[in-house]
Amino acid sequence: MIDFRNVKKFYSNGTVALDGVDLHVDDGEFVFIVGHSGAGKSTMMKLLLREEAASSGTITVGDYELTNIKNKDIPYYRRNLGVVFQDFRLFPNKTVYENVAFAMQVVGTPRAMIKRRVPAILTTVNLAEKMKCFPRELSGGEQQRVALARALANNPKMIIADEPTGNIDPKMSIEIMNLLMKINKLGKTVIVVTHEKNLVDYYKQRVVMLKEGRIIEDRVGGMFQ
Amino acid sequence: MKRRYSTRFFLEQAFKGLTRNGVMSVASIAVLMSCLIVLGIFSLLLLNINVNLDKIAELNEIMVYCEYELTEDQIVEVEEKIKSLDNVGKVKRITKAEALQTMIDESGEYADLYSDITPENNPLCDSFEIIYEDMDGTSVYNLESQLWEIEGVRKINTVYKIAKTIDSLKSGVMLVFIWFLVILFIVSIFVIINTIKLAVYSRKSEITVMRYVGATNGFITLPFLFEGVIIGGAASALAFACQSYIYIYIEKMAANEMQMITVLPYTEVWPLLVLGFLAIGILTGVIGSVASLNKYLKY
Repeated sequence: MIDFRNVKKFYSNGTVALDGVDLHVDDGEFVFIVGHSGAGKSTMMKLLLREEAASSGTITVGDYELTNIKNKDIPYYRRNLGVVFQDFRLFPNKTVYENVAFAMQVVGTPRAMIKRRVPAILTTVNLAEKMKCFPRELSGGEQQRVALARALANNPKMIIADEPTGNIDPKMSIEIMNLLMKINKLGKTVIVVTHEKNLVDYYKQRVVMLKEGRIIEDRVGGMFQ
Repeated sequence: MKRRYSTRFFLEQAFKGLTRNGVMSVASIAVLMSCLIVLGIFSLLLLNINVNLDKIAELNEIMVYCEYELTEDQIVEVEEKIKSLDNVGKVKRITKAEALQTMIDESGEYADLYSDITPENNPLCDSFEIIYEDMDGTSVYNLESQLWEIEGVRKINTVYKIAKTIDSLKSGVMLVFIWFLVILFIVSIFVIINTIKLAVYSRKSEITVMRYVGATNGFITLPFLFEGVIIGGAASALAFACQSYIYIYIEKMAANEMQMITVLPYTEVWPLLVLGFLAIGILTGVIGSVASLNKYLKY
């Protein structure tokens, strides 16, 4: 469950990135967060990842109150999230297998379990045969599937995807979105930040539209207008 | 879930990190090694200068030259009189034949110049090397006056003034050298830490991803810390090998060609080198890694 209550975020240069945002997302929902550049999408992501703290208001994600969270608890909070970025952010010097395994090593998963689970996850994203490849040897779509596999590695309750189709071709974009839909059907909350109108309109999920730091529309089965 | 990880895991991560970022690892080791060698050379130079200055400062010796025409009995009498004086420690007679031989030996390729000199026409005189006990300036002058009173003494050479001047200058010279060493040390530390900073910067995105997947600061820091130890250790070992080679070469050269210079034996300096290099190498490696990481670990 995600709960934003009157969340504001100001920067020291006077920019108002979020201006009194109220948003509630239940477990298992699929939500598109849309808006043009400067609407506040990235700031919302940063607050959700607790990369930055809100200037005022409260943000609750599951059992964690992000406005009061202690620094030492932030890594443990992040382990409940699976994050996918537009630029994939894979470890360039680790193989596909190691990239996914690393997320599990971080949380202390036993080696034997990692050996069993990583191939299974890579099979889910159709990359089992590229396990020993390095990211530079993969296409953009494949790299994003590795990122998705890494996001799923620790069986998180929520997947947050920041422009997941921004760096890949349209065919691969559909494939990635289908994977995200599949993950959502398994009961996980999925938040997708995007400005790709066609994808949003095609999947007809809940759409939260931001403009100048405010939510101007929040509709189930909505369109990107 | 909080969990302890094995040292083996972090060592594996550190080795993988070093090998997969080979260029930066080699650059860090090379810079650290170079700085250690420069520091090592300067420190050893400082130690050896100190020893040589000490040696000069401890020259408590007076040379007494006899009149040319003294008979053997008269020379023995002079020796007895010298020995009877207060504060005289050791007296060594150098006959004119010995003095000639020393002169020939020191002349090397020009020794032939003295081929015409025979024991009969030897122009040198007998002399005495006197080692006196530790005394202040006034007592040395008193001893010198007493020596002049002995019949048969032609000339007296004392290095007391030179020795004492060097002794008083020594602390100043050493202070200047120590400051140079301190400045060199500080500059080296900056160079090393900046090189490691660059190495860590090149892996900034890796650190960011580690944070996103929920790695704790300790989990992120430890492999870098181990990398720092490995870089420091490797650089220290290489610097030690180079430094030892250079030092042994200089020690041999000094023994053969520069006998007036005292060079501390390698067996005495190598433990200092090992300890110094390991301490500086590993400490700067670790401090450099951890300090560079800090800015990427803030929430």
